[in-house]
This record gives sequence, structure tokens and C-alpha cells, in this order.
Amino acid sequence: MIPPVAAAGKARGPLPGFIAGVFAWLPVTFVAWYFAAPVLTWPAALIVELVAKTAFADLVQSIEQVRAVLTFATTLKPGSSSTQGAVITVDVDLMLYSFGLPLYAALVLAAKEPGWVRRLVLGYAVLMPFVAWGALADFLKNVAITLGPQIASQTGFVAWQRDAIAFAYQFGALILPTVVPAVAWVLTHRGFLERLKVPPDPG
Amino acid sequence: MIRFFITFIVLQAVLFGAELTPWAQQYFVGPWTNALAAVSAWLVTVIDPNVAATGKVIRSTVTGFAVSIEAGCNGIEATIVLVAAIFAFPASWGDRIKGFAAGVIAVQGLNIVRVISLFYLGQWSMQVFEWAHLYVWQALIMLDVLVVWLVWVRLLPRDGGNGPRPGGPPEGSRAPAPVSA
Repeated sequence: MIPPVAAAGKARGPLPGFIAGVFAWLPVTFVAWYFAAPVLTWPAALIVELVAKTAFADLVQSIEQVRAVLTFATTLKPGSSSTQGAVITVDVDLMLYSFGLPLYAALVLAAKEPGWVRRLVLGYAVLMPFVAWGALADFLKNVAITLGPQIASQTGFVAWQRDAIAFAYQFGALILPTVVPAVAWVLTHRGFLERLKVPPDPG
Repeated sequence: MIRFFITFIVLQAVLFGAELTPWAQQYFVGPWTNALAAVSAWLVTVIDPNVAATGKVIRSTVTGFAVSIEAGCNGIEATIVLVAAIFAFPASWGDRIKGFAAGVIAVQGLNIVRVISLFYLGQWSMQVFEWAHLYVWQALIMLDVLVVWLVWVRLLPRDGGNGPRPGGPPEGSRAPAPVSA
């Protein structure tokens, strides 16, 4: 027999405690992410470099990471005679695409499932390619659209490719940074979801 | 589970692609964003009469500070994610529509809080505004979507679905639910 208060808690299931836990953990994980971002985003920077030098070798000379900012040195010219020899550089802030990390960490820690370290590592590995997606799409959007027709014409992208870049950028900026952590959490916490579905005890 | 995620991803991509079309931008996203600005400004005037909305811009008539509600801040993307999650999940159409209606209210309600809070945070400190705008509120809105979906899943009748639960064992092999007495 359990006391009525505990019984009421069980009837509500694990959700209220989980939500309170997420709100308790979020400030902690956000602060940790802010200070550790240069290190945490390093694998994403590696992925960006690998993809850029493989698929866009004609556009990208080098990529440097300073703190959480990637600087793409391109092969594109500014176009003015007074700037001969100069090339276009594009800065991309990886923090804009990696703020799902503290969200995912808060969700994992609040769920209090066994093996939380493994779940954290797994989710981190899953998130990195999507952070790289956002950064790469941001760079491509800059050179193919934002910097104007003089730069865009040097990239060789045709209309449908610019449309695809715009979609990839919007999807990578507005949807993926928050959806991927939530999906990763659902996938790594299927047992938690099953317990959530247990109906309240009638008596 | 695989079917749920494939449907979820396809629905999301289709709805997001539709949102980006010029037609949707002109006839839905634009008017929706303007309405959001108008409602937010109207709510703010209850305590602060020096606020006005013009189109998608909310402006202080005293300081001149203004915020413009852009893509990603109008709650449409969050609603798309919620709609995709609800309609991809095995449930009856009635339950889906109830979840959709409650979800839109929850997401858009919190989004109004986001817009109003950013309007005042920006007047107080641009650094705090940037942090809240770029990171914190994005995470909170998605948390709202996830919580609404989890609550909806919890409230679903156990026999209301038309397929297996995500992550659940095959029908007939489910262990008896634990009791608390």
C-alpha cells in the first residue's frame, strides 16, 4: 500500500517530474554549452571541412575555427579592380546550429534513465552531422545568394541549385537545430515513452 | 517506430516546403505574422499604452525601439513540427484533431510570450536579447512542442491507435501495466 500523495504522483506518471527536471537542467546545460562550445563543435567543424573540401573544393580554399566560429576562405573574388588578389571570406557561427546540444542534454538528464552517459554520447554523435549541415548550408547561402549576383555568378550554381541551397539553409536553421535533439531523445528513450503510456491506476 | 519517423520526416519536409512557397508566404505566413504582431501589441497595451504594431513590426512609441517578427519567430515552424508528430503517430482522426487544436493554442500562446518578452528584453539589454532570441526561446518553443506531444500521447486511449506504438513490443507481448496499490 502506498500513501495517497504518492499514488496520485504515480497516476500522473513521470511527465510532471520530467518537465520540472528539464527546466532545472536547462540553465546548467546552456551555461556548460556556452563555455564548451569551441570544443563541443569541433567534430562538426571537421565534418564541414571534409564535405567542403570534397564537394566544394572549387569554392573553398581553407576553413579555420576560432572559438565556435568557422571562417571559410573562398576562391571567389570581390570583383573590384581595387581589390585584386583579395578573396571573399565567410564567417559562420556554429553556436547558431548547436544550441540543440543543451536541450538534448537537459532532456536526457531530466528523464533519469539508466545509461544516461551512453545516451548523451549517442545523441551528441547524432547531432554533429546536423550542426555541420546548418553551417555548410549557411556558407553556401552566403556565397550563392546573400553576397549578391557578382559573387553568386562565380559559384556556377544554377537557379534550381540556389533554390535547393535556400531550402537546405532554412531547414537547417529553422527546423533541424531543435527537432533533431527532440527526435534523438525520443529514439533513445523509448522505455520512458512506454511508461508514459501506462494509464493511471483506477484504484 | 520506423513508419512513424518516416511519416514524421516526410510530413515535416512537405509542410515546410509548402510554407516557403510564394503563395503560402503571401496568403498565410504574412497575414499570420501580422496578426501575431497585432495580438502581441494589443496584449502589451493592457499594461503599456506606448506600444503599436505596424505589419509585422512592434514598436515603442516612446523609445522608438522596434522588433520585427521574422521567419522562425512566428511559431509556424514549431506548429509544423507538432502537426507532423501528431499526424504521423498512430491515433484516431478525432484524437489527432483534438491534439492539433490544443497544440496550436499551446505553441502560439507561448510564442506570444516569446515575442513580448523579446520586445522588452531588447529595450533592456541587446546582449540578453540576442541570447534569448537565438538560443533560449528556440529551445523553449521546441520543448513546448515536445511536452504537448508527450501529454497528447499520454492522454490517448490505449485502443485508440490504428497501429503499433512507437518503441512498443508487438501486440500481445506487452507486459501487464504496473499497478501502484
